[in-house]
Amino acid sequence: MAQSQEEEVILKVKRFNPERGFWWAEYKLKVDKFTQFTEALRRIKSEQDPTLSYRASCHMAVCGSCGMKINGEPRLACKTLVLDVAKKYNNNVIIIEPMDYFKPIKDLIVDWDEFYERMFKVKPRLYQAKEVLEGKAEHRLKPEDQRELWKFAQCIWCGLCVSACPAVVIDQQFLGPAAHAKGYRFLADPRDTITEERMKILIDSSWRCTYCYQCFNVCPRDIEPVTAIKKTRSFTKLYKDKSEVAEIGERHIEAIHESISKTGKLQEAEVYVKAYGVLQSLIDLVYMSGAGKLKYMLVQSKPVQNIKEIKKILGGE
Amino acid sequence: MKIAYYPGCAAHGLSKDVDIATRKVAEVLGVELVEVPDWNCCGGGFYDEYNEVGHVALNLRNLSQVEKMGLQKMVTPCSVCLHSHRLATYKYKEDKDIKKKVEKRLEGTSVKYDGKADAEHIVWVLIRDVGLENIKKHVKKPLTGLRVGTYYGCQMLRPEQIMGFEKAYSPTSLSELVAVTGATPVPFPTMTSCCGFPLIGSNPKGALKLAFNVLNGAKQSGADLVIHPCSLCHLQLDSLQLKVKAEFNVNWTMPAIYVTQLLGLSFGFSPEEIGIGKLAIEVLRSKGVI
Ligand code: SF4
Ligand code: SF4
Ligand code: FES
Repeated sequence: MAQSQEEEVILKVKRFNPERGFWWAEYKLKVDKFTQFTEALRRIKSEQDPTLSYRASCHMAVCGSCGMKINGEPRLACKTLVLDVAKKYNNNVIIIEPMDYFKPIKDLIVDWDEFYERMFKVKPRLYQAKEVLEGKAEHRLKPEDQRELWKFAQCIWCGLCVSACPAVVIDQQFLGPAAHAKGYRFLADPRDTITEERMKILIDSSWRCTYCYQCFNVCPRDIEPVTAIKKTRSFTKLYKDKSEVAEIGERHIEAIHESISKTGKLQEAEVYVKAYGVLQSLIDLVYMSGAGKLKYMLVQSKPVQNIKEIKKILGGE
Repeated sequence: MKIAYYPGCAAHGLSKDVDIATRKVAEVLGVELVEVPDWNCCGGGFYDEYNEVGHVALNLRNLSQVEKMGLQKMVTPCSVCLHSHRLATYKYKEDKDIKKKVEKRLEGTSVKYDGKADAEHIVWVLIRDVGLENIKKHVKKPLTGLRVGTYYGCQMLRPEQIMGFEKAYSPTSLSELVAVTGATPVPFPTMTSCCGFPLIGSNPKGALKLAFNVLNGAKQSGADLVIHPCSLCHLQLDSLQLKVKAEFNVNWTMPAIYVTQLLGLSFGFSPEEIGIGKLAIEVLRSKGVI
């Protein structure tokens, strides 16, 4: 087999230690098309600079320890090939930084404590029935239930999604994408016995996600935490003790459903008033009129003619 | 060039100016936008959580209308409508369980989706199909001296593997379009962050904070105004701009106009003709652009 061609790259690494703060270091090295970032960093550490710190363990996208930002993208260093990135950005100079959001400890190593706390808050294990634990009964999972849960069970706790999530930054009560993926995996498990408690933990938080799809974009295991959050929200109607956040959210989605079922379109003004109430709508009206938007307030989309078809599509009639 | 056009509910409602400017600009560029007959709401980013099968089926109904028109591209000015349709076709193609349920749901309806048509963003069509050189030919009034923040938001970019037009972490499409108008593109650190619109109901304070981060990011980078690609970002950043301003007690505004509104200005339309709002008009006047 032909020798794989080597190319020279420059890795610009954002470094940190508590005494000195942040600074940048540059390393030049040759890589071939098989070299992952963890391998590049290992070589830098052993051949050029033993003081450079990073985490990696499995080198095969399983342990979740090598998360970092590569050219601004949250990635697993072991699952990312250096020359792929150089090619994507058409540049052999590549920037490596620690993940956002997490507290830096040293260079690319960040503090995981808060992440683990969030993960444990959702009770990430199955609470089976007593009889099952005592060996007196079996509780098998049906294939269709298994299919529903499988995706969300694949999380490797790498934290990339949390590092990319804007909602965790602005809202302490939001559990974050990874914890939600994990939480839903157990919430939707028919063998679990603490569903009510799980709803209490997850539902309010699920309405605090802003649907920005960062977590979907960055997850190296294609878990789609935002999908888990959407699915968790659908449990809201089963839960009695709703917070205000969940209640408004639910009113909003009900209003959307009603509007689409009635007209096939989303009549904004109606949905607005139904979801947020007359008072809030009036306040916003004042702001909108200040921005010169009043003339559009009453523009209404033409209803769909074939409304019977829409009703069928939505699962009615 | 004939392309199916899906305005989406917001562009036929509170963001009507998005629709007005997009149609005018397309006409100048010789792009014939044919509105999808009897189109329905796509569910706007929320409906999939309420009724997943219904959501996919709703979006396929629009795309099936496009196929009946003999077209394959359905262009929309709204990032959320784009996202909703592309996510629906992705699920329909990738998830066998959903596909089965959707097909069952669609039995007896007029919807026949062959998997050929898909949604595209107007920005993609402008850059890829019309081409920057062609657009440049229609610039009658270069917007020299205007510094334009390029705000991409979420749904046109992410998930990258489903949207597919450009890099989610270093997009350039809007900068390219701004440069064509003669204005100076100003990329800024929060240009791919969330505008907070989906949170406005459940966590209004958080929603305004996200909007502020975007507008402030553009301000700190020296932009005079920002452009964006989405009918719903339009509500959050433009229509509710004064609410953000009041909440954060700042003495500046950062008007947000739709991308085709900026192009329209450079094509020689007056701000009124393409629905540009009050706040932006003030800035444009102060910069001597109008
Ligand atoms: S979609 Fe929700 S959970 Fe995912 S990154 Fe955005 S705000 Fe966070
Ligand atoms: S959901 Fe994905 S990105 Fe988030 S921690 Fe788990 S594996 Fe990592
Ligand atoms: S080293 Fe284990 S996931 Fe990368």
